[in-house]
Amino acid sequence: MADESARCVATTRAGTRCKNRSQPGSKYCHVHLALGESATTPPDETAAGDAQTAERDEEALRREMAAEIDDLIEDLHDRSPEFEPPPFSPRAMVDLIKQNLDHLPPPMRADVLYRLRDAVAREDRFDAETWKGIWAMIHYWRYQQETFVQRLGNLPFDLPTEQLKKMANLFSEDLLDPDTWKGLWFMVSYSAKYQADVVRRRFTGEYETDEWGLDWEFLEAVRPFFTFLYKYYWRVEASGLENIPDYERALIVSNHSGQLPFDGAMIGTAVLTEHPAQRLVRNLYADWFPSLPFLAPLFEKMGQTLASVENGTQLLENEELVAVYPEGYKGVGKLFKDRYRLARFGRGGFVKMALNTQAPIIPTAVVGAEETYISLYKSDLLAKATGFPYFPLSPTWPWLGLLGLVPLPTKWTIDFGEPIPMDGYPPDAAQNLVLVSQLTDQVRNVVQEMIMERLAQRRSIFFG
Amino acid sequence: MNDTNVILVTGVAGYWGGRVARRLLNEPDLHVIGLDTEPPENVNIEALDYVQADVRNPLLPDLLNAAGVDAVCHLAFIGGVRRNETRFDTNVMGAMKLIGACAESRVRRLVVKSSTMVYGANANNSAFLAEDAPLNGGRRYGYNRYRLEIEAFINGFRRQAPELEMTVLRFANVVGPTADTPFNRYLRGPIAPVLLGFDPLLQVTHEDDVVEALAHATLGERSGPINVAADPPMPLLRILALAGRVPLPIAHPLAYQAVRWLGSSRLGKAIPFEPDYLRYRWVADTERMREELDFFPQFSGDEAVETVGTHLRLERYKPTADEMAYDEERLQQTIARRRQSAAAEEAKEVENG
Repeated sequence: MADESARCVATTRAGTRCKNRSQPGSKYCHVHLALGESATTPPDETAAGDAQTAERDEEALRREMAAEIDDLIEDLHDRSPEFEPPPFSPRAMVDLIKQNLDHLPPPMRADVLYRLRDAVAREDRFDAETWKGIWAMIHYWRYQQETFVQRLGNLPFDLPTEQLKKMANLFSEDLLDPDTWKGLWFMVSYSAKYQADVVRRRFTGEYETDEWGLDWEFLEAVRPFFTFLYKYYWRVEASGLENIPDYERALIVSNHSGQLPFDGAMIGTAVLTEHPAQRLVRNLYADWFPSLPFLAPLFEKMGQTLASVENGTQLLENEELVAVYPEGYKGVGKLFKDRYRLARFGRGGFVKMALNTQAPIIPTAVVGAEETYISLYKSDLLAKATGFPYFPLSPTWPWLGLLGLVPLPTKWTIDFGEPIPMDGYPPDAAQNLVLVSQLTDQVRNVVQEMIMERLAQRRSIFFG
Repeated sequence: MNDTNVILVTGVAGYWGGRVARRLLNEPDLHVIGLDTEPPENVNIEALDYVQADVRNPLLPDLLNAAGVDAVCHLAFIGGVRRNETRFDTNVMGAMKLIGACAESRVRRLVVKSSTMVYGANANNSAFLAEDAPLNGGRRYGYNRYRLEIEAFINGFRRQAPELEMTVLRFANVVGPTADTPFNRYLRGPIAPVLLGFDPLLQVTHEDDVVEALAHATLGERSGPINVAADPPMPLLRILALAGRVPLPIAHPLAYQAVRWLGSSRLGKAIPFEPDYLRYRWVADTERMREELDFFPQFSGDEAVETVGTHLRLERYKPTADEMAYDEERLQQTIARRRQSAAAEEAKEVENG
């Protein structure tokens, strides 16, 4: 289509034909004009010998680097084709470095300068063409940064700059600097655009969930609430996070307490915010929750699943991090006088999951959750009438209505214990009921011990 | 080569029977017999060996033997939410008699179309329902009740006739521009009721994939129940958004009461399935479909729903009946047929002098 003679004849590093127009009087474009010959002509093959090979390697490396820079320039040029870098001069290059030195953190400045000086001193390694390339690249780069704000969107009105500057002088604060406000406006408008886009996509169905129902966008939306509870309300202290693997499967087995399953939420928040791999914990919940409006989709969209051996096994096979609370209703609904006394650890379904998949069990102790509600009595009558699995009566619930549901701001600690390996057993170990019940008791004892250890250190319920 | 070469399709005048017969007629070296009480309209009748009979006909074993039928694709099934004697007779008794006839004759394979709704929607459903999960489906609406009865009969009959391979394809919610299925009706209704505070994950299958899977299973070699659904399962609200429907949230106790009181009235049928199916998770495991049936749906879940959305959007602008464009293909066929018969008459006249 286009006039072929007006195109650059060089090939880029990606192996495609250069798209730029050639400079007048040359068959190369402005980028390849300098680098063209070296980037396209094949290296001389006559040289032989070890030293020469090494030299050729270095030569190839240099050429590769030059081509890479060349690629970057081309990419940057594509994004702002109207911009042309000023002509190269070594003097201006040094000035440029001086100017941009301020952008680096102070400890790095000297280091960068030393490196640059070394590079300049070894002239044979770093030729002028490369410098020219770097020169063009930095200019494109700075141009990109300068125009970034403009590309986000222009102010729909003119700021009364002069007046604002006067006020800024009066207070001599950054807060009254018109640029601060301009920046704030861009931030707000950008964030509003993003939010509007999220809302639009929700309405047109352009969002994704995984096959278990996990919706990351939703999770990110509700995350601040849980972070607030974690950081400021219960001031959770998590220890032993290094026991949780970064990628492999593992099964967290924890005590359960606190009438409402906030302990699961806090374990999830701990791993998501404090673990280096920021893993998502797949909590397994009881079969009462799928029938509750609002809670059922909430749990599902946060990536949690109904507790069953099949579900747990499948999740672990997908190398997920699964958390179970084998005490179940007996644990979460226990009376205040029974606090920190572990209930029966179910029928050992969690051990079967771990044995099926050879996933290590990470015993976990949550301390502090037991005191968030003070359950004095469990009413069977009310439980039957409301359909709840248990109906606690506390000094506040149900007398104060929903206000009685506000948990007490106790101080929490979550301890992740040493993993218990589960891979030393025969393949059909999950069918061995004796082994399963022994392992169940073993894990239960470990968790109980961890709780006792933590309780021994605790001075105050509210301050830890 | 394929060792199956004579195939009987029941319910050939119906939507699925017609489509599957047409699909099978495209296969080379295949003799397709269509069975129904009335002649099919859309199938190319010259290529199809049409037999006018009911599936409950006592002479069916003789027909199967005489024609040397190898495989039967049973698609004579009356859908719809209502339950009555006629439907029970056709759906359940028909299936029982057909299966009995197949066991009597030399038929080796039987394919029956079912639905993943037979698993039922329960709070303690496993996240992915495998084929051996218990069948606890709702029995209020006809289509699901009859399917449950057929499945129970097949399960019992497996032991009696081990040499007859019975494949039951359980399809997830079938969607698409043309099929008349409960979920399609739900998506096309004037309102889309949802249960307030529930957003279960649902699977869908595109109607073209249903036809393809049925043909694939009829010509294939697997037996037993197999779930067929497109990936990925999607939240109900996302499905409605993709189809361009606005959900109407109803508190769930109200929805249960509405179904109980309004029953089969028009309002009661606004949701063509029991509210539980909009409340709990009933996602079927499709591993067997991929591993054993070796079938991969052509449409992904969102693509399948989008075909409905596109169709619904276009339907608003469709011309009314009198200004509707003619169906060119059908008209051409009619003209060709007339021309042929005219030529034949002419030839006869010439012969007669």
